[in-house]
Amino acid sequence: MGIWGSLFLLFLILISAYQSFAKEGSAEELNEEFTEGLLLRPLADRKVLAHFHFQSSVPPTRTYGRHHHLFPKSIYQLIKKFRVREMELSFTQGRWNYERWGGYDPISSSNAKPPGVELWAIFDVPLDQVDASWKNLTHALSGLFCASINFLEHSTSYSAPQWSFRSFTGKLRYGTLPREAVCTENLTPWLKLLPCRDKAGISALMDRPSIYRGYYHSQRLHFTSDEYDTAKSNSGIMLEQTLTVVLQPNTLGARAMVSGKTLQPSWSLSSLFGRKVHGKCSVSKSSNVYVQFEQNLVSELKEVWKESEESERGILTHNNFWTNPIFEMSASPHRIVKEVGNLQQEDSSILYEFSVEDFNDSEPFDLGLKWKLPVAWSCQQAPLRASRFLMGSGNERGAIAISLKSSRNNNTQRVGCSENGSQLRIDIFQVVPWYVKVYYHTLKVFVDGELQSTMENIEKMHISSSEDKVSPGVMEMILRLPCGVKTAALTLEFDKGFLHIDEYPPDANQGFDIPSAVVSFTDFQASIGFEDNFLNKLPILNELQERKHVICYTEVLLVPLTTPDFSMPYNVITITCTVFALYFGSLLNALRRRVGEEERLLKSKAAKKRGPLTSILSKLFAKLTGRPIKPPETQSASPSSINYKVIVKVILVAGMAVGWQYYFR
Amino acid sequence: MAEISEAPSTLDPDFDQENMRKSKPGLKRLTLSLAVLFSFLLGLPFLLKSIEIYRSSPPPFREIDDLSTAIESSPILFPCHFRAVFVNFDPNSYTADQLSISVQAHMAKFAAKNSPACGTCASNVTVSVTLDSNSNCISNGNNVDWKCGALNEFKFAEKHEDGLLDEDFASLLDNNSGAKVYTVVAVKTEQEEVRAVVGKYRHAWIMGRIFEEEAIEKIAEIFVNVFMNGGKEEGLIHGEFMPLGADGRIVLSFNLLNADPHNWIYDWDFQEIDENLLSPVIDALKPLADVSVESQVLYHTPKSSFSFWDDRLDSYIFSTKDLPFFVNSNEWHLDTSVAAGGLSKILQFVVYVPSAKECPLQLQLPNGEISTTNGFISPMWGGIVVWNPSACLTDSKIKHPLRYKISSEDSRKLFEVFMGQLRQLFGLKSDGLFVGASGTSILLASERGFSEWELDVLSRQHSCFNLLQCGTTLGSLSRLVQSLPRMIIMDDIGKQVKYSLEAARLTLSNALLGIYDASAESSRQARLLAEDAFYHPSMMSVSYYSFEHCFAVYSPFFLPVSLHVLLAVLREWKRYKQESKKYYAWKAK
Repeated sequence: MGIWGSLFLLFLILISAYQSFAKEGSAEELNEEFTEGLLLRPLADRKVLAHFHFQSSVPPTRTYGRHHHLFPKSIYQLIKKFRVREMELSFTQGRWNYERWGGYDPISSSNAKPPGVELWAIFDVPLDQVDASWKNLTHALSGLFCASINFLEHSTSYSAPQWSFRSFTGKLRYGTLPREAVCTENLTPWLKLLPCRDKAGISALMDRPSIYRGYYHSQRLHFTSDEYDTAKSNSGIMLEQTLTVVLQPNTLGARAMVSGKTLQPSWSLSSLFGRKVHGKCSVSKSSNVYVQFEQNLVSELKEVWKESEESERGILTHNNFWTNPIFEMSASPHRIVKEVGNLQQEDSSILYEFSVEDFNDSEPFDLGLKWKLPVAWSCQQAPLRASRFLMGSGNERGAIAISLKSSRNNNTQRVGCSENGSQLRIDIFQVVPWYVKVYYHTLKVFVDGELQSTMENIEKMHISSSEDKVSPGVMEMILRLPCGVKTAALTLEFDKGFLHIDEYPPDANQGFDIPSAVVSFTDFQASIGFEDNFLNKLPILNELQERKHVICYTEVLLVPLTTPDFSMPYNVITITCTVFALYFGSLLNALRRRVGEEERLLKSKAAKKRGPLTSILSKLFAKLTGRPIKPPETQSASPSSINYKVIVKVILVAGMAVGWQYYFR
Repeated sequence: MAEISEAPSTLDPDFDQENMRKSKPGLKRLTLSLAVLFSFLLGLPFLLKSIEIYRSSPPPFREIDDLSTAIESSPILFPCHFRAVFVNFDPNSYTADQLSISVQAHMAKFAAKNSPACGTCASNVTVSVTLDSNSNCISNGNNVDWKCGALNEFKFAEKHEDGLLDEDFASLLDNNSGAKVYTVVAVKTEQEEVRAVVGKYRHAWIMGRIFEEEAIEKIAEIFVNVFMNGGKEEGLIHGEFMPLGADGRIVLSFNLLNADPHNWIYDWDFQEIDENLLSPVIDALKPLADVSVESQVLYHTPKSSFSFWDDRLDSYIFSTKDLPFFVNSNEWHLDTSVAAGGLSKILQFVVYVPSAKECPLQLQLPNGEISTTNGFISPMWGGIVVWNPSACLTDSKIKHPLRYKISSEDSRKLFEVFMGQLRQLFGLKSDGLFVGASGTSILLASERGFSEWELDVLSRQHSCFNLLQCGTTLGSLSRLVQSLPRMIIMDDIGKQVKYSLEAARLTLSNALLGIYDASAESSRQARLLAEDAFYHPSMMSVSYYSFEHCFAVYSPFFLPVSLHVLLAVLREWKRYKQESKKYYAWKAK
């Protein structure tokens, strides 16, 4: 009995210990958190998308205090000092290929960014201080990220969109630097914000040469803070850092062919990045790698599967699927997550989850995907494909055209339209620098090639025209297009302005950039819903699940402006001065002139016929040639001696020139 | 123009056509060309004046020079008031005046040993002496408010701790007048051991069986070396290295570095440290500096120097030779703070938690001993403490690193080390002992980190260094501006310089009056304005108009024109001389 009693006591102690432990666990929820994740997706054009996602969160200062253990100090100070409510900064190199890499998924909507730097921020300060805060923020960020973000300080380079970009009237500022070059000096400070930097965890994969060799590279920093919200229930600061790269796997030699079709390239983490994952970052809460098969790929795989082998559906989620005849994965996934809520189509995208927690230095994680059968699929497109180009020629005027073309699969479009009464809503936000003077009254809308009356298709429009050397021109517009539209185009005419000679950037002949326009389809939402509710705790899946509008960026336009000859002012000074000097000299000479004396001189010359100089020269010439001096008695000798004179003068000048060259080289 | 030679005529055989003329040569053309030349020469100063860079309010160069010479020739010295109280001494052997004179003589002797440093007391100190014995109470000087016989009320038993005694003295010496008087109380007791203690306020006491001469020497030494010079020793940090920003702000950045989080991860409760331990210090430093605190925890931050295993000490050893390489500036991204804008000073305090393969890590002093604090400072940068986790020796081969928290006891210890380091960075002693020629004195440590007399010393030095800095900054500004006469100087700069000079003058007058706080404040102002003027954005701009540029713009006009004018003058002059020679030749004939 005593033994039983003591055992019972032990049990009680254990229970109480567990309870206290559980209590601690619940208290942990208020703590700072850091998670890391990597999403890999084979792309239809034989490339691979890698999307790194890191998230740090911190509870509000009011309850948690201002000293942090994981959250980057510099970002917290930035938020604190400039009272930033939300901010996004992206550094991008290359252009996201909406046709081949997709335009209707969460990653392309939130991570496809315009080339160069894009920065927008929402401030929690009174309206009249927003501009000052923005200026200070740009300077702080340019110091933090080693980039020329401080050029966004000038009021000509940023704008305040009213409603089309994000609905925060007045306190939002938006600016882009299309020509900013992005390289490691921007990545290193970005990595410094991660607790493990690139020393451990998934970020250890970021081998600089491999990353920058890619076709597209975009690093993004986004945070939301409700530190200054008046509402009681605030959730603190959430910092999200993503790096999206599109890489071409090494296909070592010739492309593998199976039954006349090209095989998709096989890849592994080590072949893509040249590195492997040696365990997780020790302070991160979760650290997973996902491989995503898009919806179209999944349906294609099923087709191929049916062809090759009669089998039941759902084979892709079958127990031993990773050694199937179509492809092979080098590791078994930890879990398989299926998309749900996509009612329109029977096939849905699949995520294979791999946890890197159990790997270490001796046994690194190296995920590989090997294709055995050729598979071809196309990615999901945005309802309309937007592109922008310049029209016209010459250095005087031109026109900007935004063209919207219906994408190939009308599937999605029909879906969006049915929801909205056969009208397709398109939001366009475009910023044009002041030296491109856009005449907004020349706006023309073409639908399927026919000119429409402007107001018919435009639901709402807000224009703030540019002011010379003060502010850029901003156009915000909601366009309603009929559902079955094939093509639509907007044109705007503009005049090219003249800049002051000081305002030209270096290498002005390259042309000037007009930042990308933002085209968003607000009726369409790119999100992938997942079946498991507890997955909500994983930020990378949360990002995919978040309901966002489908957004795409158009191309950056390069406008050649008339560039002056930059040495012109000096040339003008020189030539004016020379003219003045000539005038002055001749005036002085005219004043000094003795007319009578000159006449006498001429007379004496005519009498003498030969000047003293010519006689000396002829004597010299005779000596040089060795002929005896002949008294010049004939008239015919005279022109030849003049000839000599000219030749000698020319030689003299040439000698002087040679001497000059020789001594002043 | 070709030389003029008239056609030979044979009209007059005497008249040599070549070398003679009958009329006087004309002066018209010569005067004309000379007039043009002279008008050019006269116009040149006007031109130079018109293209000169206009400086509406140039910095007052002469006043700047006056200030810097004044500061450099004589370091500013503050008037200090000292008071010596002799309790239970024989009133008949010495009078108060005699004692005062001999204390002053001893002080002069001590002060002569080290040259008057910047920010100490002026040499003509006044020492008021009170003789308090059972029977009577004599004092010289008029403003002595020593409560005679007050000390008799409490017994100097040994149960009295120094801290309590300090408070007792503080209440006894509490003067409401606000004047800063430094007091040393010498008490003659039956105790064999002579005990000298410097309190947290502005007083010290000497107790024990002590004679007058001995007491006088000791009092003089405490006055000079402790109260005046802050108890500094030679060889410690001194000079102009005060870790204070030009705007009087310091950011204390505390960093916890986990060298390798794969082994273990240590965390701390900095909130608690900040609230309980740091805030009194920040309050204490308030008159001197505006201190702000920030903290962060960093991971994967190995040190960059090597350490070796020592069997005898049973730990990994890094020696003082390795210290310059300890800080790994590549991996330790301690970061400058956004909060510290511009001219603030950041002091980094680093707790280094070594990784398992170098644990425990100990600092070996040059004499072979192990450092008790296991830390070191780097002047003007901050301090580093190596903190060895207790789990160090247990061989931990855990797959997932464990998270620990530095216990509050440990963090208190760490904080004490940091406090000592901060004091050292300010040039004060950190061990609480002052070893003088006449014996050792105990310096009581304040729970606020800095005692009042230390703050006085710091604030005196601060205003002095600020003034020196201000003088050198303004001096180099004036040299720069004078060396580049074509540089555009904004009006703001001139104004700032003027204000800076005013503030510097105010500092000097405050220092003479002995108002430490106000002089520190105005000296800070002076330095800040001077630095602002020097680092004014317009000074950095390249918009100054160089002489080469000016030459390039004006030479296309003036070069050809001057050629014309000079040649014309030369020719006319030559011709005039030649022709007048001809005229005189004819006349002579």
